[in-house]
Amino acid sequence: MTRLIDPHLTHLSELMQQMCDLSIKGINSAIDSYLGGQNARNEVHEISNQILNLYDQVGDLTFDMILRYQPVASDFRLIRSSIEISYGFTRFGRYAYDITVVRDMFGDLSECKNEVIYTLSGEIKHMINLAVQSFATLDLDKVRQLLSDEDLVDKYYNKHLPTLINSTNTKCALADALVLRYLERIADHASFIGESVNYIVTGKRKHH
Amino acid sequence: METLIESPNKISTTEDVKYKLVAEDIVASYDNVVAVKNVTMKFRDKAVTALIGPSGCGKTTFLRCLNRMHELTKNAKITGRVLLDGEDLYTNNQDPIINRRKIGMVFQKPNPFPTMSIYDNVAAGLKLNGLKNKSVIDEIVEGCLKMVYLWDEVKNDLKKPGMSISGGQQQRLCIARALAIQPEVLLMDEPASALDPIATQKIEEMINELKKEYTIIIVTHNMQQATRVSDYTGFMYLGDLMEFGETKQIFENPRNEITARYVQGQFG
Amino acid sequence: MITVEQRAEFRKHFRYNVGRRLVIDKIVKGVVFGCVIIAIIPLGSILVEVFTNGSAALSIEFLTQIPGAVGSGEGGIGPAIQGTIVLIGMSSLIGVPVGVMGGIFLSEYGNNRFGKAVRFFNDVLAEFPTIVIGIFAFVMIVLVLGNFSVWAGTFALSIIMLPIITRTTEESLKLIPITYREAGFALGIKRWAIILKIILAQAKSGLVTGILLAVARIAGETAPLIFTILGSSQFMSGFDGPIDALPLRIWRLSSLPYDSAVAQGWGAALVLILIVLSINVGVRYAFLRKRGGTRFKMVGGSL
Repeated sequence: MTRLIDPHLTHLSELMQQMCDLSIKGINSAIDSYLGGQNARNEVHEISNQILNLYDQVGDLTFDMILRYQPVASDFRLIRSSIEISYGFTRFGRYAYDITVVRDMFGDLSECKNEVIYTLSGEIKHMINLAVQSFATLDLDKVRQLLSDEDLVDKYYNKHLPTLINSTNTKCALADALVLRYLERIADHASFIGESVNYIVTGKRKHH
Repeated sequence: METLIESPNKISTTEDVKYKLVAEDIVASYDNVVAVKNVTMKFRDKAVTALIGPSGCGKTTFLRCLNRMHELTKNAKITGRVLLDGEDLYTNNQDPIINRRKIGMVFQKPNPFPTMSIYDNVAAGLKLNGLKNKSVIDEIVEGCLKMVYLWDEVKNDLKKPGMSISGGQQQRLCIARALAIQPEVLLMDEPASALDPIATQKIEEMINELKKEYTIIIVTHNMQQATRVSDYTGFMYLGDLMEFGETKQIFENPRNEITARYVQGQFG
Repeated sequence: MITVEQRAEFRKHFRYNVGRRLVIDKIVKGVVFGCVIIAIIPLGSILVEVFTNGSAALSIEFLTQIPGAVGSGEGGIGPAIQGTIVLIGMSSLIGVPVGVMGGIFLSEYGNNRFGKAVRFFNDVLAEFPTIVIGIFAFVMIVLVLGNFSVWAGTFALSIIMLPIITRTTEESLKLIPITYREAGFALGIKRWAIILKIILAQAKSGLVTGILLAVARIAGETAPLIFTILGSSQFMSGFDGPIDALPLRIWRLSSLPYDSAVAQGWGAALVLILIVLSINVGVRYAFLRKRGGTRFKMVGGSL
């Protein structure tokens, strides 16, 4: 016999799965179009809205489960973390959209040397995949990688942001600064997802 | 959402811990069925400890070992020690009667004595143990009825029969009766399971108040009740103590797999 | 999962002979009533007979004077009344406490082999022919003391009373749920105090019924009295001497060939029945009325 809460947990995992897929799609789209010089603002905006919509659904579902079934132990930790993680996905969608806005607002950026962005964005894409997989498989190794990757991104960001001061091209410098910032924030949220996954598995919360 | 959550009752885990009641290596059986297979538990003072577990896991038998009520069951056998404030209740020179007065007990179905009035019910443990001073008895009766939040409801009807009040009130009457003999520890065997939700709520609120002065051990099969009222929880399964710890930990992050399955409703 | 259609299918197999069942119901009810009437008829007719035949003989002299000359139709049954009341009182004084204690023992302490043995012997004693008990009393008391006496009669009657009271006491106590004893133990009350103050108080009505049953029984026993009190035409002159009793007097009077004696016999029978009835009503009123008058509903308990 299935428990009363089980169908809802299944539904929750479907919603989270959709959010995972959309996040990956959105970020890949934003980064690729930025580096490739295309304007993907509308498309990514649409994706971000879909993620927000799913976030609302997840919120309704999780609080409904808490109200009705008073879940405990791993059910409880899963539900609590799902709320936090789904917020992280909305942030992915949001920052992906912000990146496309930069391209849209600033116009043609083909003269900018996108090396830094190029390097960092590869790392970010990798981190997003790690975050999604760690949640799907509840794998603590991936969480560990995620947290150390986030360290690296932080260092990279702190190293390269100040160099933009010396840039000669204002437009490029501003665009780079904005996009770097967004990428760093995306990495942060990916690591937060890792911490939530850690909580699901170990029951320990990280205090900042 | 990087929120910081501090656990509200951060209890220091070492040194100066006051264990009011300690049960060591309790093995209990009746009719040659071993119901409790070597359980050790320590109960803190001025705290509520809940005992949970599926039917037949031995939690009620264990509870009855704590105040030497288990001996009254047919063919009952028991080994082990129960230390109240350091003194073993099972050594041979301790009359069980004395110990039963230090540890009060409340049963699942309210059982006020039918032929006695409300006043006489609360005073039963006193009068039938020889206490004669009427003003002392009056004081104790009033104090106990106030502690269970029954005083205002019955103070003008003390002579009415003990069974003329509602089920929830009767159970609170039984609790007042148990408290009248001035115990240190209060044992409760599923005290609210026969009551409606409002009466249950009143009992739980009362427990929350009582724990400021008493050590309370409550057997319950309602896990939400355990999370609401208890500070510590022990999970028993087939006569063994599978896990024991702070209630928050047991229900948020149980270490034992059987505990996790039980609290999540996957069996029992 | 049984669907709506399957349920309809299954229901087709049920027999809907409601009409026939109602008729059977009524027939059975009628039969049961009939049996009750048949059972009551003897009681009713006895009462009617006794009342019609006996009331003619009633008078103050009848109730207070000693018997007159045999066959003369004069005098009364005073001594017999006194004797019956004395015997009932004395026997109860012995039989009730011993019987109640025996019942308490069997109910509270008797769940073992010894208890089983006691219970068995108690049941045997209850079935004993009372004439044999009378002979036993004759041998034990009359022969030893050298004469018929109240002691002997009391001895015999209390032996007859004993097993009845023991059995009914035990049954009444067993009806009290065990949870009240547990509550008493949990309060640290001593066992005998629990039994006396808590359990016995609840079993009152059962106990009283048992005692009244026993009293009614011994009030009418004749055979044992023959061997123990002898009977007499005088009022009681001390516990060592013989006395009269109503069953004995009824027997003696009805065996005489005189109509007046037989009429007196009917009167004595009526008196005996009236005495037993009034003891019954009086004791119930004294011990069992609900004090305070408020009816309360039993919540939580099971009585």
